[in-house]
Amino acid sequence: MVHAVSGVSLEIYKGETLSLVGESGCGKSTLGRMMMRLIEPTEGQIFFEGKDITAFSESQMIQVYKKIQMIFQDPYASLDPRMKVRDLIGEPLLTHRVCAGKEETDQRIKELMHMVGIRPELIDRYPHQFSGGQRQRIGIARALALNPRLIVCDEPVSALDVSIQSQILNLLKDLQQEFDLTYLFISHDLGVVHYISDRVCVMFLGKICEIGETGEIYEKPLHPYTRFLLQAVPDMDPEKVQKREQILTGEIPSAVNPPSGCRFRTRCPYAGDICRDKEPEIRQLGDRKVACHFPLG
Amino acid sequence: MEEKLLQIQDLRTTFYTREGQVHAVDGVSIEIHEGECTGIVGESGCGKSMTAMSVMGLLKKPGRVDGGSIWFEGQDLTAMTPRERRKILGNRISMIFQEPMTSLNPVMTVGRQVREALLLHNRQMTRAEARDRVIQSFELVGIPDAAKRYGEYPHQLSGGLRQRVMIAMAMACDPRLLIADEPTTALDVTIEAQILHLMKQLQEEKGTAVMMITHNLGVVAQFCTRLYVMYAGKVIESGTVQEIFKHVCHPYTDGLMRSVPDMKSKERLYNIRGMVPNMLRLPRGCRFCPRCQYSMARCFREEPELYEAAPGHFVRCFLFEKEEGK
Repeated sequence: MVHAVSGVSLEIYKGETLSLVGESGCGKSTLGRMMMRLIEPTEGQIFFEGKDITAFSESQMIQVYKKIQMIFQDPYASLDPRMKVRDLIGEPLLTHRVCAGKEETDQRIKELMHMVGIRPELIDRYPHQFSGGQRQRIGIARALALNPRLIVCDEPVSALDVSIQSQILNLLKDLQQEFDLTYLFISHDLGVVHYISDRVCVMFLGKICEIGETGEIYEKPLHPYTRFLLQAVPDMDPEKVQKREQILTGEIPSAVNPPSGCRFRTRCPYAGDICRDKEPEIRQLGDRKVACHFPLG
Repeated sequence: MEEKLLQIQDLRTTFYTREGQVHAVDGVSIEIHEGECTGIVGESGCGKSMTAMSVMGLLKKPGRVDGGSIWFEGQDLTAMTPRERRKILGNRISMIFQEPMTSLNPVMTVGRQVREALLLHNRQMTRAEARDRVIQSFELVGIPDAAKRYGEYPHQLSGGLRQRVMIAMAMACDPRLLIADEPTTALDVTIEAQILHLMKQLQEEKGTAVMMITHNLGVVAQFCTRLYVMYAGKVIESGTVQEIFKHVCHPYTDGLMRSVPDMKSKERLYNIRGMVPNMLRLPRGCRFCPRCQYSMARCFREEPELYEAAPGHFVRCFLFEKEEGK
């Protein structure tokens, strides 16, 4: 049995971008998928606009899908290669019968293409005729088609080259402003997360380490794992040389058999006896929530 | 001046596809000095990996080296027979790849794989000696319980450990040059930091030169002393890392640096407009000019050469052409 996500509580506020960061296996993608009930939670509840969606029937969920949409990491795998752009973006419009007639549908598809920066003339092309960045734009247009409130973005720029990555990040920011969107942004890239998010939630092995406002967390991390994570990023300034003591030793423990007490303790240089015996509860420290027995001061 | 270990001169690597010829590496010259770490940076399709594959002689059909020379320790690799070349590869020059799972044999224990490399290049060595050497090298690259790990298969190891095995294999014969193709791209951040630190340590202790192929400018800033930036099959800027990061010249390199979110400011990211050109239909003139914010009429007609913007700092852009040269 793997507790991929274990006892996690968090809120996403209207109009904000909350990022989930952490390394492979920390549960960030599982958590994102649970928001859409693509993975059913074993225990716990998810409230969306005040209603517990974990108790919803399938037909009720269909209504929820109008309001929560998802953008995936791999723009090569997430678009059906045999569908034209017209059908890829038009599919959600047809499924939910939001447009009256073919003409209106066509117009809406072209409008969406224009919004994400793809020339509407290309409406009858197939995914393989586009580059990776353009495909990700098509994925975004598809997610936007139903005017959602919340978009779960699962590593949307990790597969893209640097120059294309910045184009997509700026596009996501512009769309958020224009349509008052809320993002749950899942990423392992701390630079990208800093740029896009208002608040950050750092996860390790299925648990939350720390949640808080982006600038504050990057400036003064309270959880030791957050600090090591930030220090591990190679600095763009050649004069700022990374020091040995800034590098976290050891490997990520197995989620099948996690360490007792605090799950990070086997890699943590500050761990004491209490960390082995007792799992740290998440507690409020100023504006921040931290799960650590010895938060950094 | 330091000694040149590897000298790539005017290398041309072409892929003969049904749709036409793709000049993946188009007249590239790169020098790697003894004991130094040189970064080759660029986005997908710029030719950085194909340059490395050409050096290693690992190009697959329909690709082939069409021109230029690759001098290593006084010999031209391109003039050698495959047999002569194999004596150098894995021995004097070795390579590590991005994805350690696909580059290891899944049905052979990791210890045997590394031992095989050792025995191949050291005919007089006994199996027992080789085994001890492998365990030593596992310890050197920081694999815990080295003797136990020797008998394990790749799938039993984590991504970080697999990359350590790859490094142990690459370093087994004490190469003079290590080519690393995106060695940390598939790894988590904290593991990436560990692996880079290990490579740096080995490079300093053993004096191995490293050719680091990456798209990550942070890795270059932290790891390399010299840098080549590639775009659409050509080197467009080269010099020391110190110099280029302080006085970046080429509009592409500059745009690339400003496109990376730096964890310091939230200012709107710079966008290089458009995308990388199709290598089958390259623009006339400068290959970057359709995306360049400084492009002039001349850029669309003529191709710029590498001009020396500052001592040792070369830039392929007309903006840096010296007046006297005309």
